[in-house]
Amino acid sequence: MIQKEYQIIAKNYDLAGRASSDIKRTLVALDFPKSLIKRVCAASYEAEINTVIHSFGGYATFFLDDEKIVLEFYDDGPGIHDLDLAMTEGYSTATELDHKNGFGAGMGLPNIKRSSDHLEIHSSIDGTHLIIIFFLES
Amino acid sequence: MKLSELVSLYDCKVYTKDLFQDLEFKYAFCADLMSDALMILNSVQDDTILKETILITGLTTNQSIRTAEMLDVRVVLLVRGKIPSLKVVDLAIESNIILLSTEHTMFNISGLLYEDGIRGITYNHL
Repeated sequence: MIQKEYQIIAKNYDLAGRASSDIKRTLVALDFPKSLIKRVCAASYEAEINTVIHSFGGYATFFLDDEKIVLEFYDDGPGIHDLDLAMTEGYSTATELDHKNGFGAGMGLPNIKRSSDHLEIHSSIDGTHLIIIFFLES
Repeated sequence: MKLSELVSLYDCKVYTKDLFQDLEFKYAFCADLMSDALMILNSVQDDTILKETILITGLTTNQSIRTAEMLDVRVVLLVRGKIPSLKVVDLAIESNIILLSTEHTMFNISGLLYEDGIRGITYNHL
């Protein structure tokens, strides 16, 4: 079993992706199948970037056991105003600054959903909590 | 096409000289929005294709390197002679990404590479 935790700083584009990069290196070192690593990294990176561009900051946790990989992202708000819209491909509330940094195509949550086996989103004005699960084949 | 041919034909600057390997590549993908790159390139089922893909972008931030790293793409080509900052070059070195730049615009370098036989990546609807 492996557990890790990463701080995510709002609007810090230099550090954005650091957690996902570490998660990728962890999975590569453990020799997981490439297709699984790719899916985990895509979801993790999108969720991390979402936290950087949309939230007041937060943190991520990585959990691995024999059955599954669980990524969780917690932030301090302001929450997802309209979840259905946020799940729509191409819809984005990203700013010009986010676009200049290469993000805000409106593909974040749809990409996470597509890449993962299970996605749970809890959101209010106090913050958003994402639970992303990948089941390991025995 | 070999990377060395790309460098000499299109007068590319190599920012990560120590990492440079004369890799063979057959595919390229252009994006300034990294979410697009993540979505399209992640839909590729055959991993060997991404190993032979270069990412062409005008985005000179850490995120172009991070995106390439996440996708297992080994080469990032910056267009329009853009100069990456030292921190971006350092991240490329740390992430084992070969970072190049060319004076050509994104459209022109894409057209030139297409003429050379390099092909694009198609979105694979899952």
